[in-house]
Amino acid sequence: MDTQAIQRKLEAAFGGVVGPVASGRVESWIEVDPDRIDEVAAMLAGDADTRFECLSNLSGVDYPAHGHIQVVYNLISYTHGHELTLKVNADRDSPEVKTLSGVWAAANWLEREVFDLLGVNFVGHPDLRRILLPDDWVGNPLRKDYVEAPDYHGISTIRESMLRIDLPVKD
Amino acid sequence: MHFDYANVLVFMALGVVLCALMMGLGALLRPSNPERAKLTTYECGEEVQGDSWINFNIRFYLVALVFVIFDVEVAFIYPVVAVFKQWVADGNGLFALTEIVLFVGILVLGLVYVWVKGDLQWIKTVVAPEDPARRSAVAGDE
Amino acid sequence: MSLINSVPEMVLTTKVDAFLNWTRKSSLWYMLFGLACCAIEMMQTGGPRADLDRFGMAPRATPRVSDLMIVAGTLTLKMALRTKVLYEQMPDPKYVLSMGSCASCGGLFQLAYSVCDGVDKIIPVDVYVPGCPPRPEALTEGLLLLQEKMMQEKWLVRSSTPATA
Repeated sequence: MDTQAIQRKLEAAFGGVVGPVASGRVESWIEVDPDRIDEVAAMLAGDADTRFECLSNLSGVDYPAHGHIQVVYNLISYTHGHELTLKVNADRDSPEVKTLSGVWAAANWLEREVFDLLGVNFVGHPDLRRILLPDDWVGNPLRKDYVEAPDYHGISTIRESMLRIDLPVKD
Repeated sequence: MHFDYANVLVFMALGVVLCALMMGLGALLRPSNPERAKLTTYECGEEVQGDSWINFNIRFYLVALVFVIFDVEVAFIYPVVAVFKQWVADGNGLFALTEIVLFVGILVLGLVYVWVKGDLQWIKTVVAPEDPARRSAVAGDE
Repeated sequence: MSLINSVPEMVLTTKVDAFLNWTRKSSLWYMLFGLACCAIEMMQTGGPRADLDRFGMAPRATPRVSDLMIVAGTLTLKMALRTKVLYEQMPDPKYVLSMGSCASCGGLFQLAYSVCDGVDKIIPVDVYVPGCPPRPEALTEGLLLLQEKMMQEKWLVRSSTPATA
């Protein structure tokens, strides 16, 4: 099944929750509402025609200009050999997306990473806590408006840059 | 006199003196900086969590116990063997044999008991308890 | 009780000091503190081709029995706290060799939010070995330099700058 066919199938099942097929330079994707993504994912994983057993990747992108944080899902089907990309736009001030850890076990840690680095709250996640950064870290570094703390536990993070390039380093 | 044992005394003394020399020399020559951080328990750099006292599996104790008992039994049989020929020559062979057979027999009874109880098996299967109140206690173990 | 930093400087005592330093440098057990890619080069330096065992240097996993801590790889802020604890748990006399550019100054990842720019922000370093990663020959040169530094130290002989930390 190609992306158009999958999109027609999803639209028939969920209606306005699923957007039309959008095309970028390389691939196309389907946009889904953040609070219905778990139902869409469950259908995609279980349905005999689509059979997406594998969540290949789950990543987050910060779009401050558009006012949302986008979560991108890459799905792969081994039985049919087709792939799909889903995108979810969560409001930037309090980003909440339904968790997919019930559908694919891989989503557990991938969502923890997005929570850690971008601050997206995955509703219904069994164990939502930081995975890469230390537990007492403040802030979400991959947000475009992230400001580094001047030190961490007494270790100064201010760099005395020797580079003669005008890079945004602290003081 | 008992000058044969002087050998043993020299070796003992040498052992004690050498060890004392090595350790004393080390104590004189090494730097000593006992700091609070240095004396903390090593846990790969992390904060120490929990107790370092763990429960040992009872199998080790049982195997050691059985070994000690039968090792001592063998040690007691050696003197009997040493004088057995003399006793046979004196005509008390049957008495000695009966006595040693009784001795070994009592200990074989002990061996049979340990065998039947399953303490000679290293791999033991876990039998789930029937009592639901006890079951929750077992599940929390290990 | 210890004779450290108490003996007057004479020919005999400096020779004793030199002898002790020689024993220490000939048996430098290093703690394998491989954090990133430099660890692979450190492993190879301890391997058969660029052998470190010929200098008496044996790799150890725990800080309790090691003299030298080779910090090989990028030091993140998360790891920095643990590195400090491990350094403090090494018994004296202890040395630190910072291997590679990440451990010396943050290296390639200097501007990252999670990287500690150089291990010398938390522990005192004796020798810096630049490289990304330094070849086994470069690391060996760094270790030989450390051995030269160890031979200059005064432990028994009384001095204004004793080697004790």
